[in-house]
Amino acid sequence: MSTRNRELVFLVPALVLTTLGFALVYTQKSSVLTLSSLTYGALFLALFAIAHIGRRVLAPYADPYLLPITALLSTLGILFLYRLNEKLALQQAMWLVVGLAAFLLVLVFVRDLKVLRDYRFLIGIAGLLLLLLTAVFGREINGARLWVAFGPIRFQPAEFGKILLMVFFAAYLVDFREALTVSTRRVLGVPLPPFRYLAPLLTIWVLSMMLMIFMKDLGTSLLFFGALLALLYVATGRAFYVVGGMALFIAGAALLYFIFPHVQTRIDIWLDPWKDPTGKGYQIVQSLFALAAGGLFGRGLGQGYLLLQSGDTIIPALETDFIFSAIGEELGLVGAVGVILLYLIFTYRGFRIAVRARDDFSRLLATGLTSIFALQAFLIMGGVIKLIPLTGITLPFVSYGGSSIVSNFVLLALLLRTSDSVARQEAAEHRLGPRPAPGVGGPRPAVGTGA
Amino acid sequence: MSRPLRRLFLVFVLLFVALVVQLTYVQVWAAPKLKVNPANTRALEEEMKVERGVIVSADGEELAVNRKEGQYYFREYPLGSLTSPWLGYNSLRYGRAGVERVYNEELSGQSGILGITNYWDQIVGNPHRGADLKLTVNMTLQRVAAEALGDRKGAVVALDPKTGAVLAMVSYPRYDPNDIDEQWEEINSDPGRPLINRATQGLYPPGSVFKIVVAGAALQTGTVTPETEFEDTGEYVAGGYVVTNYADKVYGIHDFTKAFASSINTTFAKVGVEMGADTLADYASAFGFNRESPWPLGASRSFFPDPADMDEAHVAQASFGQGEVLSTPLEIALAAAAVANGGEIMEPYLVSQVLDYHKNMLQETRPRVWLRPLNSETAAMMRDLMIEVVNNGTGTSAAIDGVQVAGKTGTAEVADAGPHSWFAAFAPADDPQVVVAVLVENAGTGSSVAAPIARQVISAALGL
Repeated sequence: MSTRNRELVFLVPALVLTTLGFALVYTQKSSVLTLSSLTYGALFLALFAIAHIGRRVLAPYADPYLLPITALLSTLGILFLYRLNEKLALQQAMWLVVGLAAFLLVLVFVRDLKVLRDYRFLIGIAGLLLLLLTAVFGREINGARLWVAFGPIRFQPAEFGKILLMVFFAAYLVDFREALTVSTRRVLGVPLPPFRYLAPLLTIWVLSMMLMIFMKDLGTSLLFFGALLALLYVATGRAFYVVGGMALFIAGAALLYFIFPHVQTRIDIWLDPWKDPTGKGYQIVQSLFALAAGGLFGRGLGQGYLLLQSGDTIIPALETDFIFSAIGEELGLVGAVGVILLYLIFTYRGFRIAVRARDDFSRLLATGLTSIFALQAFLIMGGVIKLIPLTGITLPFVSYGGSSIVSNFVLLALLLRTSDSVARQEAAEHRLGPRPAPGVGGPRPAVGTGA
Repeated sequence: MSRPLRRLFLVFVLLFVALVVQLTYVQVWAAPKLKVNPANTRALEEEMKVERGVIVSADGEELAVNRKEGQYYFREYPLGSLTSPWLGYNSLRYGRAGVERVYNEELSGQSGILGITNYWDQIVGNPHRGADLKLTVNMTLQRVAAEALGDRKGAVVALDPKTGAVLAMVSYPRYDPNDIDEQWEEINSDPGRPLINRATQGLYPPGSVFKIVVAGAALQTGTVTPETEFEDTGEYVAGGYVVTNYADKVYGIHDFTKAFASSINTTFAKVGVEMGADTLADYASAFGFNRESPWPLGASRSFFPDPADMDEAHVAQASFGQGEVLSTPLEIALAAAAVANGGEIMEPYLVSQVLDYHKNMLQETRPRVWLRPLNSETAAMMRDLMIEVVNNGTGTSAAIDGVQVAGKTGTAEVADAGPHSWFAAFAPADDPQVVVAVLVENAGTGSSVAAPIARQVISAALGL
């Protein structure tokens, strides 16, 4: 089967899930089946058909698995939102339209990765500005300053800022890769680059700390730091950055723990939510109860105990940060592991693009985008199941949230563009002659910019 | 550059594996503990979504129903406190009591007997609903009994001696089960102990109603016949303990029938001592003392002392229901029922039918014999003795025109307070339809207080 048709075939499960899922939730709600479930199914069919055709036209060689996984995840998300709050589901459906539009726009305007490299500083500054915007004009909601309002439209600039900065750092590291891998002295037998080469590490550390300090945004801060560290490691191949990064991270975390009661509370709740199960620990404790109620196979779609009589969710922020708990309760361990697997496959496909990349920029871009995506999924899922302290971020494509949905579609578009570019290079090499063995040095085009 | 990438991917794989491990721990391994965590109110919430079965009386009155609010059901008890001693309550915060507790599986539909109906309903999409219960209690009789007792502390039990079906059971003070959530503290700390069903959980010295047991033993063992003559001098000394009659009466020469009818303590002490502690204990046990009660809601064990610990004085006292002997009103009703039912005691029960909500009967209680303390000859003799009590003895205030009532009074002495007033009776004597036991705490003699209450209940039970 051709790559393109494979994608089409893999979109079918998403379509089936939507139609069946909505039908199920709907009958749970009002015990009468209406056309509503079919409407959602049709909407999904139309949207992802457009996305598929757009991808086929604009990035024909791109990875065929990423879009279907995205479709499945967003379907699952909207399904749970519909079950929790129909109004939010409708808004999410609208955001999905916007997200897919953004997806197509990125594919249209970023025809060549060269564009991103050429405008790397502009992109970097834009990313930084978006963060500054939040720091200056941001509104504090739930203890974190994430939102910026333009009239009736509120959005979370950090969601976009993180992608732009990732693009910038990928390009920046291509320029400085050589310099960063040169080590001139050894301290206690450890090769240390000169201080100025520590700059990138310190920069991202300071940036993350600033994010934390000014926006109190633990999640985005951790996300930045982790993803950029991963990028640095892949760019240089030096464990030093990982070790040094970890050391800085621990130092920073310790510092923040003692400075910010906000962070302290998060950690304390993680360590022992049972100290105050109806107060501070309420959210995580209820999340654990929900997961326990779900058990192995879950209580079934629409059968979980998620809503109070008032229609409010029992777990605060269930539609956004804690949606994974809802999935765990209604679809059980089986369903939740399925979701984890979807993220893992996405991550695998992302790294596969990076591995296959013939040039540094494509490789680093794919690495950065995939890392930030995977790390975000891990941080929030780990948070709601009490594996790690909770950081208030969204579950990509599943959680409710316009900024999250749209920015993740932008991320997907960039990843598909990279994939397409990598595949074109490969094809071009095939035409020219045998390709060099991957991984072992060999001649390589210095900077690839597509076909 | 490929190696770092592989390592990085491996790191992510490990992170995702950690997610799966932790998730498995929470959802499977720790789930049973999390489900019963005191902070977890999910189970209660789940129960509130279940429409509990309706409980109706024998005469069709609804005793426990549901009010629906949103997707939740709230339990309501239309008759309030009247039914609380045995119906109990169903509270999310304070648990359950009575029928609501013991028959929870049926009422909430967890019971296996609802199985097929439930599966079917799931298939066709009917809401989950528990089974209905039909009780043996007749609310007309229950109301009469409650009114007759009024606001005196005590209990009334009425049952069908032939089947053991409880027709009425009253205990006072009571509580309103509709208030259990709002007024729990008050109800629970009330010195009148309204949460105790005095009919089944209250233990009292039975006094002379215990003579039903002693006389039964004396007649069946051949120690006496109804005609055996005794002489009463107003006093009988046993092991240094001086037995006297109520109000220090002196009866002179009399037969055993008279001793029972007039409740002569000295004669019963004599007969008891002659039979000995072991025989008394055996018969007490044969009547249900020191036994686990078959009462489905659970009852206190009526107590007769260990004969090894009894000296002659103890035996003498026990022979007229004093000393250490303790009984529930239900046990006294069952002792009278033995006489009424030819010597057999049927297991008392309260739930006659379990029905699914299509009104199909799922289960029906079949009357079962519990004990057989007397043979039919002794039972017949005892019946005559009890008739004599009502016709010419201490129980004349229980007599009803046109119906032969048989009974026995009791006036149980207690330290530092007035005596408990007892009466146990059945009617019609030749074909008993109802047995009634009445206890009123610290109220006076059996004949003056308890017997008139019993008369009202018997009249109502016989439709007079």
